[in-house]
Amino acid sequence: MKTYVVGSGVTKVDRHYDKNYLVLIDEAVGKTLANSGLDASDIEYLVVSTAFSESILNQADPSTYIAQNLGFRNVKALTVSSGEVSGAVALDYAHALIRSGKASRVLVVGFEKMSEYPSWVINRVYAKILEYEVEGIKNVAPSDYAALIMNDYMRRYGVSRESIIKWSIKMHENAVKTPHAQLQFTISADSLSKALRISEPLTMLDSHPTSDGAAALLLVNESVAKKAGTTPIELVDVESSVNLPIYLRDDLTYFSATAAAYKRLSSRNGVKLTTNTAVNVYDTYDIYGLLTIEALEICARGEAVKCVDEMPYLNVGGGLKARGHPVGATPLYQVHELRELMSGTSWIKYDGDISLAHAMSGPDNNAWLILLRGWV
Amino acid sequence: MTSSRFRVGIVGWGAYIPVYRIKAKEIARQWGFDDRVTDSIWIEEKAVAGADEDTVTMGWYAARSALLRAGVNPGDIGAVFVGTESKPYAVKPSSTIIADALGISAKKLSTDLEFACRAGSEGIRISVSLVESGAVRYGLAIGSDTAQANPGDVLELTASSGAAAYLVGPADESVAVFESLVTYVTDTPDFWRRDGSRYPAHGEGFTGEPAYFHHIVSAVKMLMNESGLKPSDFDYAVFHQPNGKFPLQVGRMLGFPREKVLPGIVTPWIGNTYNASALLGLAKILENSKPGQRILVAPFGSGAGADAISVLVTDKVLERVGKAPTVEELIARKKYISYAEYAKFRNLIHRNLW
Amino acid sequence: MKHSISIFWRLKDNHYKIYVTKCGDCGRVAPLKRLKCPYCGSRNVEHIESRGFGELINYTVSYYRTEGSEQYLPRVVGLVKLDEGPVIIGEITDVDLNELSIGTRVEAVLRKYSSEDPNGLIYYGLKFIPVIKK
Repeated sequence: MKTYVVGSGVTKVDRHYDKNYLVLIDEAVGKTLANSGLDASDIEYLVVSTAFSESILNQADPSTYIAQNLGFRNVKALTVSSGEVSGAVALDYAHALIRSGKASRVLVVGFEKMSEYPSWVINRVYAKILEYEVEGIKNVAPSDYAALIMNDYMRRYGVSRESIIKWSIKMHENAVKTPHAQLQFTISADSLSKALRISEPLTMLDSHPTSDGAAALLLVNESVAKKAGTTPIELVDVESSVNLPIYLRDDLTYFSATAAAYKRLSSRNGVKLTTNTAVNVYDTYDIYGLLTIEALEICARGEAVKCVDEMPYLNVGGGLKARGHPVGATPLYQVHELRELMSGTSWIKYDGDISLAHAMSGPDNNAWLILLRGWV
Repeated sequence: MTSSRFRVGIVGWGAYIPVYRIKAKEIARQWGFDDRVTDSIWIEEKAVAGADEDTVTMGWYAARSALLRAGVNPGDIGAVFVGTESKPYAVKPSSTIIADALGISAKKLSTDLEFACRAGSEGIRISVSLVESGAVRYGLAIGSDTAQANPGDVLELTASSGAAAYLVGPADESVAVFESLVTYVTDTPDFWRRDGSRYPAHGEGFTGEPAYFHHIVSAVKMLMNESGLKPSDFDYAVFHQPNGKFPLQVGRMLGFPREKVLPGIVTPWIGNTYNASALLGLAKILENSKPGQRILVAPFGSGAGADAISVLVTDKVLERVGKAPTVEELIARKKYISYAEYAKFRNLIHRNLW
Repeated sequence: MKHSISIFWRLKDNHYKIYVTKCGDCGRVAPLKRLKCPYCGSRNVEHIESRGFGELINYTVSYYRTEGSEQYLPRVVGLVKLDEGPVIIGEITDVDLNELSIGTRVEAVLRKYSSEDPNGLIYYGLKFIPVIKK
């Protein structure tokens, strides 16, 4: 049985000091169900994705309270929490429910509220994506790894620091055209020398911002999809792989989990990504975006910087860099942006048949791929 | 009084001095002293422990060096003592942390000792007795301090950080053997810190004559009387050194020529490391000594007491010097910091916690 | 940051010392005492204590601010290739940011990871410094 996305909705990614997670989710769900021909009472499963609700909101299993507060009755509610890939895992679960025939209408909701505490508290929370007993306890930061990887990449391939920022420049250009993106301004390479350093040589210009946001996707089976008032997009396949920790890798510049997942996804589905394929990848830091498009075999290794200009459909929403990174919701934002692109409602016209979303926790520690195809 | 001639000795020794230094004149100017004050007590600069250092971490380094030099199995060490007046925990031993981190077995005696600046040497005396009695094969005595001083107090010119460690064991494995050890202790209130108080208080001039000088002179004379040794029998004399001037002065009072005292003086370049003070001086002498030489070491602790210890250097010293950093290497390794950095490192700045 | 008493106590061997896990099947080495070889999954592993010496192969100067880290910032975080073979992530302390370079020989030293709560535990663990004895 095939899975289709027949609705999606997102809030603007921002620091929503005046809204709690329920208000954000209510908005995203409202947009998702509009035109789908379904309402909350039709939903069989409510799959909620969040990375840090326990740490930040002191809320275990928010799915229960989303169901209670937002009018979901007779729904099976659950929370998926798997670090930065929570949203991708939630989609995989929903996909499995529909493919197996266990459900025909699943609402996937992702959210995060990263702005509830000052940076020095949220930084500690975000660092939980690394291994606590090995890295967290020593105060190793996620950005430290990005810096080490950037160092190795520049050394190995003779790539300049200034050229890496091209990624972020492009992300900001895309964000300006994306109403829900957080950082709606352009940046230039000139600002690099003045940008605040996080983990040298990494600066704020290379990094995702602190984001709140909620996104929802409505996943249904074929018979429900046919009755939907929107153009369904097929969720074809999900694939994933786990990498070794950074300090055990022979080559820091190769995202082997992303690569392994892509090889399996590609051969199973007979698809191959090119510079003209719409991809929406995790650029938690710009260097990660570059390594990801190399691992996805879109660009040769060491060549990603040159490729960026040749990829019109790369992170059209602005990426984590500029759309923002409301962690538990980010993969849902990615799929939402791809859906807009494939259904012709994005700022750019796309003729391709397929598109791909990529999510990962930390530097390729756990990588997930979601393959989408237009309605045929 | 204990005499343990040729049965027990120093099997290994180790030193640690943090890399940071602050010029004594910078501290003097910070608090409006006439900066000639530093010359009057002979203090050039002092060692400052980094933000992530304390008595435990410095003591660990010195003890590891002692073990490296001794080349013994940590499992054979039956006692670990840490002499300090800057315990990181008011309650909870520092010695157990160091011992576990060094892989020393659980079957041991272990405690922290407090007697102002001479608890480390008391640890040596206890270890000597334990080895001599056969209760343990090796005893590890550590003197380590991140000495506190009330900011603006004259004490701040010298109070510094450092550690020294001595592994005491059988004489036939030793780089130097103990000839005689005596201790002279009275109740003399020259310097103290009350429980819960951040900084110690002292009697300024009272810390000199009735305290430092009286106790060291008494202990050394006691040793001379009991052992029959004379100043001329010693190649070096090392004294507790709250500043550069006192050890030269007490040496003169006891009839030791300046050239026998100067080699063991370290305080002018690292400050007074309290429990490590005389013990770092001894380490420096050991690292430059020749087999057969005799060394007098006389630590002092306020409150007050002094030890006098006579050791004879053996030929084993030569092969062990190079196995760990020497005092001279540690003194030469330095980075200067400002008073502001020193204040940050030593927690002198009051901050709110999130 | 407050850590669980029992977690930190249990982790002593991996923070007060550096152990290396050597696989009896694939022959590869990895830092820390591990139940299984991270490369091949074998349980046929032995744990060897590292001497704590190695070479700095990559590093960053980190300004990543977390509550309680202020006293230690900026921090140098780097990858150290131990003489026994494996690479370990750690903090390099006592360094002059202008002097540090790839290839610096370093040694492990016991330091405080953190200790900001004056009423709480002090969390000791190994960091690296440029070797004192050249």
